[in-house]
Amino acid sequence: MNAIEIRGLSKSFRGLYAVDNLNMTVPVGAIYGFIGENGSGKSTTEKLICGHLVPDKGSIKLFDRPYTDAGVRVRVGALIENTGCFPNSSVWDNLMMQAINLGLSDRAGEIDRVLRIVRMEDNAKLKFKKCSLGMKQRIGIAMALLGDPALLILDEPINGLDADGMRMMREILVDITQQYGCTVLISSHILGELEKIATHYGIIRQGKMIQELSAKDLEGRAKVFTSLKTQNMQGAFGFLRQKFPDVRAEDGYIRIYDVDDTEGIVGLLMQNNFPVREIKKNKIGLEEYYIELMSKKEA
Amino acid sequence: MAQTHELKFENPSFAKRIKGMLGVDFYRLFHTPMYYIFLAIAAIIPAMIVSMTGADGGQTMYTNVWNIVAADSPRYIVHNIGEYANMNMVFIFGGIMVSIFIGHDYRSGYVKQLFTTHAKKRDYMISKSLVSAFSMACMCVTYLIGGVVGGMISGLSFEVNISSLLIAILGKVVMSLGWASLYTFLNVIFRRYFGISVAASFFIGTGIPIIGAAAIIGNNSLLNVFLYGSSVYACLSSNIVTMLVCAVVSVAWTVIYNLLGSLVLSRCDVY
Ligand SMILES: Nc1ncnc2c1ncn2[C@@H]1O[C@H](COP(=O)(O)OP(=O)(O)OP(=O)(O)O)[C@@H](O)[C@H]1O
Ligand SMILES: [Mg+2]
Repeated sequence: MNAIEIRGLSKSFRGLYAVDNLNMTVPVGAIYGFIGENGSGKSTTEKLICGHLVPDKGSIKLFDRPYTDAGVRVRVGALIENTGCFPNSSVWDNLMMQAINLGLSDRAGEIDRVLRIVRMEDNAKLKFKKCSLGMKQRIGIAMALLGDPALLILDEPINGLDADGMRMMREILVDITQQYGCTVLISSHILGELEKIATHYGIIRQGKMIQELSAKDLEGRAKVFTSLKTQNMQGAFGFLRQKFPDVRAEDGYIRIYDVDDTEGIVGLLMQNNFPVREIKKNKIGLEEYYIELMSKKEA
Repeated sequence: MAQTHELKFENPSFAKRIKGMLGVDFYRLFHTPMYYIFLAIAAIIPAMIVSMTGADGGQTMYTNVWNIVAADSPRYIVHNIGEYANMNMVFIFGGIMVSIFIGHDYRSGYVKQLFTTHAKKRDYMISKSLVSAFSMACMCVTYLIGGVVGGMISGLSFEVNISSLLIAILGKVVMSLGWASLYTFLNVIFRRYFGISVAASFFIGTGIPIIGAAAIIGNNSLLNVFLYGSSVYACLSSNIVTMLVCAVVSVAWTVIYNLLGSLVLSRCDVY
């Protein structure tokens, strides 16, 4: 069963398609990293899933049910773009209203629980408008965690979070998926952070899903390379280019792609009078993979 | 809270959904100063109008305390301000209050939270209509208190046909539901334009369109099919038929506006 299954989804604003015939498959229990450049349609897709926008066409299923089904909706938690809270009401009151809306039984206990998770228990009495950007973001996350969500939709949730907040976010997401079998759809531009937790990725461009892959797929596809520094960089670079097919100079390092035999390379360079100062085995990450994919598509 | 590990989805009943939605709206109503401010306004304004006009020593707008609540007979055409300024003014205050109340939902973005969960657009309309009707009914009560106190201070006559008075008051309270639905609908239509929704609610609440119509077609009882018409109809010469007319008109418009509002919300983007 898939937590989210989208087929042929389109949404236009005044004739311009923000989401264009999009397909998406998010397996149950996944942390699905949804990435794409500004204006590519991530937030719009998420708003469609949450029922805030009316699609032009296409189907959205959540846990094999139509996305409008009240039984499944009551277990969706979302934070999209910004936390929608009444500015003059306290953090507590804002959470209380959503707890009432969800029909929770132990409301106070549940609010305490989510506030503790986002480490905001000392700020419950504060008016929402008095909260800082990161605090508001945390409240939005708390709001999404209220009840017993089976699906969390988080649009750039780490925006504005400090280092502690980012770590907290990672812990929450890993915990909620592993302990409670929750599924998470998360969009973010901070690919380095996303990479640490995501189990699946969807890459969107101009409203179309251009690639969906699991973290394992990415691992398989990701190139290995060796990066090194020597005393005579130019000489070594010229020498290595004759020996290996894909050698590039990047960020002050020489990179030899598809090769991770560091001992062999050190030996070779020593023999040819290029003393090695620094050498490291590497794997290209999500960020490089994404950039490469984007530049390919552009070409 | 006990967490379930398996994926079970239980459809919440309509009763449970509406209970949740009403719970949210009443919680917010009672936790915002606005509600109490409007209750106070509804009391102070009639008291002020009565005592100030009486204080002139000259012409008073009212001869009888109960004219502050309702006119002697249903007059859709306004001859003097005393015929106009009665408990129907609650619907003007109510319109502004409802606009602010619903406007906050959209301006704060809290509707996102509401509609992400199981709440249907219909639930939203029903709940907002009921909560708004409740607040207007409360305003009717404070209006009554304010008006009577003001009347006592000015020493106006209290002579009245009690049953007609009660029907007039009850009739107007019943009309609150229809008005509340109308305002909810207007605010849903103009959800992106706060200023317009306040202005539209105020304009319609004053009854100017119906007063204008009456100026053309005369004091015609056909105007009772409109909310303002039957609100005027609930006067000091009311009888049981008046009550029936108010109930039917109020409920009919409530159904119409709730259906229309739900349709708009489900066909259009929330924001
Ligand atoms: N309400 C709206 N009215 C008109 N156009 C809109 C609306 N919402 C989104 N768009 C357009 O749809 C496109 C996709 O926007 P969307 O917010 O989904 O992008 P995004 O991928 O979330 O971008 P970002 O990374 O900047 O958050 C944009 O071109 C945007 O201008
Ligand atoms: Mg976005």
